[in-house]
Amino acid sequence: MFELLPQLNDRNLPWMDTIHPIVVHFVIAMALIAFVFDLIGVWAKRPALFEVSFWNLLFATAAIFIAIIFGQVEAGLANPYGASRDILNLHSTLGWVLAGVLSVLTGWRYVIRSRDPLKLPLAFLGAGALLSALVVVQVILGNQLIWVYGLHTVRVVEAMRAGQV
Amino acid sequence: MDPANLHLLSLGANNLPYRLPIHPNLVHLSIGLFVIAIAFDIAGAVFPLEKRLFRFLALPVTRAGFHDVGWYNLLACCLISFFTVAAGFVEMQLAVPLPGVVSSFGMGSTATMLWHGAGGVALLFAIVAMTLWRGFQRFDWRSEMGRQVQWSYLLTGVLLLGAMAWHGTLGAQLAVEFGVHVTANQLLAAGADLNEALP
Repeated sequence: MFELLPQLNDRNLPWMDTIHPIVVHFVIAMALIAFVFDLIGVWAKRPALFEVSFWNLLFATAAIFIAIIFGQVEAGLANPYGASRDILNLHSTLGWVLAGVLSVLTGWRYVIRSRDPLKLPLAFLGAGALLSALVVVQVILGNQLIWVYGLHTVRVVEAMRAGQV
Repeated sequence: MDPANLHLLSLGANNLPYRLPIHPNLVHLSIGLFVIAIAFDIAGAVFPLEKRLFRFLALPVTRAGFHDVGWYNLLACCLISFFTVAAGFVEMQLAVPLPGVVSSFGMGSTATMLWHGAGGVALLFAIVAMTLWRGFQRFDWRSEMGRQVQWSYLLTGVLLLGAMAWHGTLGAQLAVEFGVHVTANQLLAAGADLNEALP
């Protein structure tokens, strides 16, 4: 049965390169910029920016589910070692939490926008700050996996296959 | 940098004075904002086609709103990308690629870094030029028109997306294949046992 599965390459992946870090561009950039545009929109009284934030938030929400799908597959093939096992668990859990938080915030934002697209309650700014903080923590966790532990890098996969890790 | 002064930075095993590289994180913002900016300007340009879909979904949308996303995201991308390129140059100067590696593009580390460095500057120029072009369309040439962007602008944007994908792949190869600033890769290259060095 296993011969039906595609061969894994030198990154221990069935495809050319990790896809998860590419998809997360859209979660990270869109979620963070939505908060920044909300802040500027409120302070500089530019309600046009609220519309920009809404669409960015909607895109972040769509993207996070794709990020999670690829993230789960690539995590399953990552062979974490040492402390990166715990970091990967935390990163996975927080990823699902973020999917929930983003979905709820986008729904809430949709209601706010439907009622009055020119006003943003301060409570939403608070929620945006919380979301941004969660995204930053999640990015730092993900960074450890690649930049410290080198999961899915050629040299580490080589060492794993040689039984050195 | 004079190698004799490098000790002043007290570099870690990843050859950086800090644990996590900054450039790849700013890249998320540059790429994400640019891609979505172009995507929303395309959505604004073909708005008459998709109008019925949004009516069917009962989702209130305006063409101007889509073009606002295209403009503000590109503006943010333009401002942030200066920092992305600056951080890239600092971290490239401290890069120590694994010796003897040939990338899946058939290039060595020096060629890959040269292309990624030159490509990064070229892309920054392109982003700045696109932002100026976009600004002229929004505030002057097409300020009275429903479709705020020229087709040539969108085509250039899509071509730049392709250039960015190629460029990003080079950057990914620097980490994944050449082990640049990846602590575990550098430790392995130094002959360390990861079970002890990275518990």
